[in-house]
Amino acid sequence: MKEIDRAGLPVVHVAAIVPISLTVGANRIVPAVAIPHPLGNPALPKDEERQLRLNLVKKALQALQVEVEEQTVFEE
Amino acid sequence: MRLELGIIKIKDVQFGDKTRVEDGTLVVNKKELIDLLLQDDRLAEADVELARPGEEVRIIPVKDVIEPRIKVNGTGELFPGVIGRMGTVGVGRTRVLRGAAVVTVGRIVGFQEGLIDMTGPGARYTPFSETNNVALIVQPVEGLAPYAHEEALRLAGLRSAAYLGNAGREVAPEEVEVYELTPVTDTTLPRVAYVYPLLSEGLLHDTYLYGVDVKNILPTIIHPNELMDGAITSGNCVSACDKHTTYHHTNNAVVRELYRRHGKDLNFIGVIITNLKVTLADKQRSSDYASKLAKLLGAEGVIITKEGFGNPDTDVMMLCKKIEDRGIRTVLIADEFAGRDGASQSLADTVPQADALVSVGNANEVVTLPPLKRIIGDLNPVESIAGGFDGCLAADGSVDIEIQAIIGATCQLGFGKLTAQGY
Repeated sequence: MKEIDRAGLPVVHVAAIVPISLTVGANRIVPAVAIPHPLGNPALPKDEERQLRLNLVKKALQALQVEVEEQTVFEE
Repeated sequence: MRLELGIIKIKDVQFGDKTRVEDGTLVVNKKELIDLLLQDDRLAEADVELARPGEEVRIIPVKDVIEPRIKVNGTGELFPGVIGRMGTVGVGRTRVLRGAAVVTVGRIVGFQEGLIDMTGPGARYTPFSETNNVALIVQPVEGLAPYAHEEALRLAGLRSAAYLGNAGREVAPEEVEVYELTPVTDTTLPRVAYVYPLLSEGLLHDTYLYGVDVKNILPTIIHPNELMDGAITSGNCVSACDKHTTYHHTNNAVVRELYRRHGKDLNFIGVIITNLKVTLADKQRSSDYASKLAKLLGAEGVIITKEGFGNPDTDVMMLCKKIEDRGIRTVLIADEFAGRDGASQSLADTVPQADALVSVGNANEVVTLPPLKRIIGDLNPVESIAGGFDGCLAADGSVDIEIQAIIGATCQLGFGKLTAQGY
């Protein structure tokens, strides 16, 4: 992740436990849902879950396009 | 609350016609025990084998280890809310078959189960090479879902520990351990609390408090005697080296040490139980709550242990930071996953406040375990359990494996055998 960043390609880390992401040095962090299901939520009805997943991916793609100077968490 | 653990020392285990304790030997009626196990219709087959210290035996895959006990006086029964009637434990008298253990084995439930070697280099890493083990080899009926399988195996172990413990009902204990939080008059002694996080992530990583799934609690205060008397049971398939088996919960080494020093050089003020969950908000909520309880108790120092590794590192670091920020000093007990050469980052998460930490070893350390004559269970899962890898099992039955796969090798309660040495 850090090496790809260093090579000049933007990276976003979508991760459930943001403090770990910060500790390991991710620069762009998008908080995810939970450790066993970072990009979904099996408790939701299928259509709501699809929307949740879509929103997370869109947010990650938006974060990729943002120039950052320091470790940045893209909250709601 | 005064708890007396009457210790009956068990030096051998044998099969015989009547389950009893005789001159330090636990005699087991095999058929009666198997019949007890098969009362659960989720189990298709059950067998019982014995493994004594020093024997050429490897037990794998091990799910839980339980110390046989019986409550003979006081409220509650063994493992209340799970197999025993409800009632607050930690008061009265309990007989303990110290030196004996029930070990649950059988078709693997989750991939994070482990092994016990009764002799050789592997035996040095696990405390359960020194117990006389009654191994339950229990197979589920076809098609049983993993959660039901886990529960059936868990209850099989707990019921067997109660069944064997009953053999100690009329036996005079050789020594009595007394646990009582007597008031401390010396106000200069530091007030020390213990924060005890329990793995509770779901997906076969669960712990039960009086039968309540700890995922569903907010942090709470508990009397240390309740822990030592069976209030907490393990339903856990996390890595073998650093999961707390039910045996560990009833023999919590931190509680024992705090009691030993209570009124001498510290004032042991109580235990706070918290959980280890899978969302960031849960981790924040539980660490907020537990740190608040530590302050309410008036703690000046807190010991924080850990169960499992990886994301639980975040929970204990949050606890450390929040408790320190309230002006209370902390010490952590944790193992390390520092890679096979020990050169990688040891913990997934850290905070600057964590400036006092006791390491209980690097779980990635690889050891070679020579073949042993008898396998209780099945050696084949060794390549797929956590700590094993493709090709780690040789044709002669020897195994190259990370100590991660050995039950209790890096127990983060300090109930283990590893020590550090400076050179």
